[in-house]
Amino acid sequence: MSAVGGSNNETGPDLAEHIELSMPALPELLVLARMTAATVASRADFGYDQVEDLRLAIDELCLRLVGAGKEGRLHIDYALRAEFVEIVVTYHSEDNVTRGYVPESAADDLGGGGVVNELSGAILDALVDEHGIDDVSIPPRAWLKVRRRGPDVD
Amino acid sequence: MESLEMTTADFGISDEDRNGVTVLNLRGEIDVSTAPELRQRLTALAEDHQPLVVANLTQVTFVDSTALGVLVSAVKQFRSDGGDLRLVVTQPHITKVLEVTGLNSVFGVFASTAEAVAG
Repeated sequence: MSAVGGSNNETGPDLAEHIELSMPALPELLVLARMTAATVASRADFGYDQVEDLRLAIDELCLRLVGAGKEGRLHIDYALRAEFVEIVVTYHSEDNVTRGYVPESAADDLGGGGVVNELSGAILDALVDEHGIDDVSIPPRAWLKVRRRGPDVD
Repeated sequence: MESLEMTTADFGISDEDRNGVTVLNLRGEIDVSTAPELRQRLTALAEDHQPLVVANLTQVTFVDSTALGVLVSAVKQFRSDGGDLRLVVTQPHITKVLEVTGLNSVFGVFASTAEAVAG
């Protein structure tokens, strides 16, 4: 896998264990992304609190790309690396194949999308070591990285 | 798809009256797909001019920013009418989310429904 958002400093062959999930970009399917994140976190020997943190973080990451009622798919790559877990979410649709497109946030459909986005940013800032979104790339992508610290070491 | 429906169907809301205070007992996961149901219920209570509503989150296993956004929107609505929305939280990971977003200082957060009702 190539470097993501300039955050991957590893060089040489990719020795990470990858788990990939591809699904329609629908809010009701985010539970799948969370369940997979919990499995990945367990494989990374995360403790209970860290598993919960990663479940929430992947949900927040996907929220940036999921649009209620919009067509498209999310592709999620969970990479277990030696030092950290890295998750990259890309949004694929017929539109963004040709011109780059991020759907309106599903949170906007609930009203007060600005507040939700602010809360989402605060959550990600607190729970992961790095995160970002590139909504002008084709396809649009969001990513996060969490260092593997061992069980529940804060 | 059947197993997925079983997973997401975990979310639910039930009402009870405690000394004239409406208590919403929430359970399951509150995310972008289930938050609209919570928003609808809270909006109905606010429009009914309920002076105090308690959202009991002790059986809630997950909240994200959309759930928090719904609660923030609701508490503004209640307070603009002289009322309030209080939370009952015992799950450590939900307490943590309230802390990292600073919402623990926005809401009245209590350890039990009885305490929340009594204020």
